[in-house]
Amino acid sequence: MILNALRDSLWLTVRLLMIILPLTISYEFLKERGLFSHTKPFFFVGITRAGLLPLITGIVIGLTYGAGVIIHSIKDHNIGRREAFLILLFLSVCHAIFEDTLIFVIIGANGLVLVIARLILAFVLTFCAYKTRLFED
Amino acid sequence: MNEGNLVSRGPLKRGLLSGLSITFMMVKVIVPCYIAIEIIKHFGLIDIISKVCKPFMSIFGLPGEAALCLVAGYFINLYAAIAVLTPLGLPAKDITVVALMLGICHSLTLETPITKKTGANAWLLLLVRVALSLFSGVALKLLWK
Repeated sequence: MILNALRDSLWLTVRLLMIILPLTISYEFLKERGLFSHTKPFFFVGITRAGLLPLITGIVIGLTYGAGVIIHSIKDHNIGRREAFLILLFLSVCHAIFEDTLIFVIIGANGLVLVIARLILAFVLTFCAYKTRLFED
Repeated sequence: MNEGNLVSRGPLKRGLLSGLSITFMMVKVIVPCYIAIEIIKHFGLIDIISKVCKPFMSIFGLPGEAALCLVAGYFINLYAAIAVLTPLGLPAKDITVVALMLGICHSLTLETPITKKTGANAWLLLLVRVALSLFSGVALKLLWK
């Protein structure tokens, strides 16, 4: 029983590794190519050009592994408390979008539903917070 | 992650290294969680947990045992949730509902301190995530045909 579980869990890890490695490698290549300087800022939800690097890093690689870049770039570019909150609000709902989705897809989830639902929720929530100033601290 | 160290290396090497460090962290979580669930299943505990959690989980159209997976995801991380979810063998719809709820809200013990460090209001964000996770579970259950 335990040996079976050990074997199955290692096999699950190998499948996850095959998802994660291409993602982390392509992220590094995209960063090298200047992915961030070609993207239009999300002004309509209150996020400026300076906020794009932490935002896209979070969307692509997630909070845990993107934490260094996110914290660093928010401090370095003097992003205000309000914009930092909007970035984090967006990222709370929608981060590591490829990895989080694909690891559930390999065990049978519908990936399209997951990506679309999270993106819509994140945009709507951030937009509402930006417009209503409801969450202003 | 130490950025200063990584800048001098090529993108391929940096990507490989961060991928492998994620995998290393993943193995440490997945293997014990997977084995724990097999043991819980073996002793029939899962039926008890399933019965107790059934009323709450039915709000999301999920079987009671999926509660274990939500708890693992909220408090530990997604890899733990997947290690718990895989041996349960749920249908695709249930997996998608769990995945959406967990995608929005997971690893709270690790990510809340990270959001705090950026200077944003971490407690408010925590509340938003939990509420939205529960809401999206109900919404997806109702919308899925």
